[in-house]
Amino acid sequence: MWTVWTVWMVWMVCLVPTTSEALCTEDDGYKVRLSIKTALGGDAYEWNESEMFFFKATLAFAMRTYSGGEQYDVSNILVCDETLRVSFVFVVTKPSNTSELVPRTEVENAIKKSRHRINSAFLLTDQTLDFVGINPTLAAPIQYDTPPWLIAFGVVMGLVCAGIVALLVSTFLNKKRSKKSADEEEAGRGNGILCESIRGKDGLFNQGLVDDDRLTKL
Amino acid sequence: QISVTMDNKALSYLLQCWQKFRPSWDNPMQFVLACVSYAVGLGNVWRFPYLCQMHGGGGFMIPYLIMLFVEGIPLFYMELAIGQKMRLGSIGAWSAISPYLGGLGIASVVTSLYLCLYYNVINAWSFWYLFHSFQAVLPWSDCPVNSNRTAYLEECEVATPTQYFFFRETLNISSSIDENGGVHMGLALCLLLAWLIVYLFIVKGVKSTGKVVYFTATFPYVVLIIYLIRGVTLHGALNGVKYMFTPKMEQLANPQTWINAATQIFFSLGLGFGSLIAFASYNHHNNNFENQAITVSLINSGTSIFASIVTFSIYGFKATFNYESCLERMRLLLMNTFELAEDTVHIDNISFWITDLNRTQPEQIAAIASRIETCSLEAELDTAVEGTGLAFIVYSEAIKNMPAAQLWSVLYFFMLLLLGMGSMLGNVTAIITPLRDFKVLAHSLSNETLNGLVCLFCLLLGFGFTTRSGNYWFTMFNEYGATFSLLFIVLLEIVTVSYIYGLKRFEKDIEDMLGRRPNWYWKIMWVAVSPLLLISLFVFYILNYIQGGAPTYQAWDKDVVREELTQIRLGLRSDSEISCVNLCAYSHIEMTVTRKSIFFDLQL
Repeated sequence: MWTVWTVWMVWMVCLVPTTSEALCTEDDGYKVRLSIKTALGGDAYEWNESEMFFFKATLAFAMRTYSGGEQYDVSNILVCDETLRVSFVFVVTKPSNTSELVPRTEVENAIKKSRHRINSAFLLTDQTLDFVGINPTLAAPIQYDTPPWLIAFGVVMGLVCAGIVALLVSTFLNKKRSKKSADEEEAGRGNGILCESIRGKDGLFNQGLVDDDRLTKL
Repeated sequence: QISVTMDNKALSYLLQCWQKFRPSWDNPMQFVLACVSYAVGLGNVWRFPYLCQMHGGGGFMIPYLIMLFVEGIPLFYMELAIGQKMRLGSIGAWSAISPYLGGLGIASVVTSLYLCLYYNVINAWSFWYLFHSFQAVLPWSDCPVNSNRTAYLEECEVATPTQYFFFRETLNISSSIDENGGVHMGLALCLLLAWLIVYLFIVKGVKSTGKVVYFTATFPYVVLIIYLIRGVTLHGALNGVKYMFTPKMEQLANPQTWINAATQIFFSLGLGFGSLIAFASYNHHNNNFENQAITVSLINSGTSIFASIVTFSIYGFKATFNYESCLERMRLLLMNTFELAEDTVHIDNISFWITDLNRTQPEQIAAIASRIETCSLEAELDTAVEGTGLAFIVYSEAIKNMPAAQLWSVLYFFMLLLLGMGSMLGNVTAIITPLRDFKVLAHSLSNETLNGLVCLFCLLLGFGFTTRSGNYWFTMFNEYGATFSLLFIVLLEIVTVSYIYGLKRFEKDIEDMLGRRPNWYWKIMWVAVSPLLLISLFVFYILNYIQGGAPTYQAWDKDVVREELTQIRLGLRSDSEISCVNLCAYSHIEMTVTRKSIFFDLQL
């Protein structure tokens, strides 16, 4: 019986260090996926222990910013299920009590608030640094005072109207000028008089019915 | 009829007086450029590449070129000859040929009027897109976000951003032709601008048109060349060009191929609208229009082929882009589901991975089976689009993925505008030339006022196309408004010239103008081949119409976010033009019985 108790104690002793890992589940935390090679191509950095330390520090920073100064530390960020994909699950423990987890919603809000800083720290984007379950807040549409299309429209419209007015005014002035010179020509009785008088008559030349036989040959 | 005999000197003097009153082109080049500007339009860019793709790529050239030489050039030659000989617009010219056929001219004018109403709406859309290109981020490249910035708008998510921009933001389309909705103010402003520009170009008749066509005829080629260079250097462009030029000869056995080739030549050259007659009526009597007819027709077809190379390189780029995006999505899916390292899965070995994983972990593959897509470049290239869908959706999608997208967008829509404006010049000239030939109108209204009134009239009616159901009306007019009546008009034209007016008289007129008679080729075409071809096209259209049942149109279903086929309860009567022909012939018979016709009278 004493041996059974010793075995049980040894087993419990071995189990204690693993309780921290028991806290780290996907239900209580968030899964993260990084696509470094997709984002950076040839400039991609290797994912190693130091990068993971950096990530934990960034998350701690995000928690500190959101909670307004609570002393979150790298040790408060627990990471598990690391894969070659470069994906892992993390949970955040409270700085006051390391066996208690920060609720998921708080973590989500903290990450949303500092998302841009986290992305920039790793030279990644919303698509390549993926927090599964946290949708990126989309960029606000740019607000213009005057829609730019209206400006372009106004410019072209102005030019066209100016062109039309210029053409009409010049035609009007030309007509006035030619009318004045026609009045002066009346006195002279030039060759054009026959053409003018024909123009005044009713009718138009109907060439279609010109029958060559009825006219003398040219 | 009263006949007048006069001596040489008086006759030539009269002819000189008369010629002085009709304005003319400054030089023959202006006339050629005007015809090119009119014939080379949007159809060359968005209809011909589609037909090429549908009917076996390079193989389509064979029926196309055959139809060009058998149908296109002879009919084009004939219309120019009539216009140059009669020196009147379509109404006057056809009345002069035979008094019973004044209605033919009126039918041409009515068809041109229908065309003017809806064609300028395309220019309005081009302006809308052009002005929206002056932004840091093109508005059709991203979906707009919803109010709390958590996701994109649902309608845009299901469709693509380019489709959303066209159907929702540009047209604000309703669900059916019955739901009118209000006028889209932005589009209405663009339509106003389009008509003001048309007025500016035609305000002084052929004097102002002649100067404008130097630009509208040549600049589109500059843009096409720039786009050709940009297009063939894009990644994946050669896939598209190879696809287009690979001939599928079995398509030649399909009668639809030949019919489409004939119809395309016919509409592409703009026969039957009266524009060619109007343009030619401002020529000098001895202008060599035979060479010009051949030149313009060849330029038109050459431009179609050239534009389709550009279009297919853009298609190839877009298809390759979509194909590679699809592969990338699959790669990500595999990596995320099976936690594989990034550099083990490439887009080349995706299929290998899928078969391997299917063997080793079939349950997990089954779980994501609904999200696995088969990416196929062929399937992407096979999606053929024509018309406004090609110009405003497919092209915009390709442009937004190019580097320096704003520049390419501006260039492209400016080219579309020039092509559209060039064709509008011909359409409007086809209306105002016959109107000016009526002495009543010519004396009471000045040139500028008449042109202004015509533009104003078309603008006011055109506002109907800027309402929320406007696109459906546009589709109606485009598909059913002019096609059938044009065939009838041109068939009547060629039958009139060959048989009623008489081929001998026509030959003599041409000899009078050119100094030589047309050779046997033209005569055979005018007398036999072209009329037969037109009759068979006409019969085919009637059969198609009867078999087709009620006319249908594609309606945008907001819930399904896709175009669905809908039947219309209203009909567009394309026989309105045909009835013009009958009515006018009848009224003339009445008039000749009751009135003496005098040699100098214009016959209505």
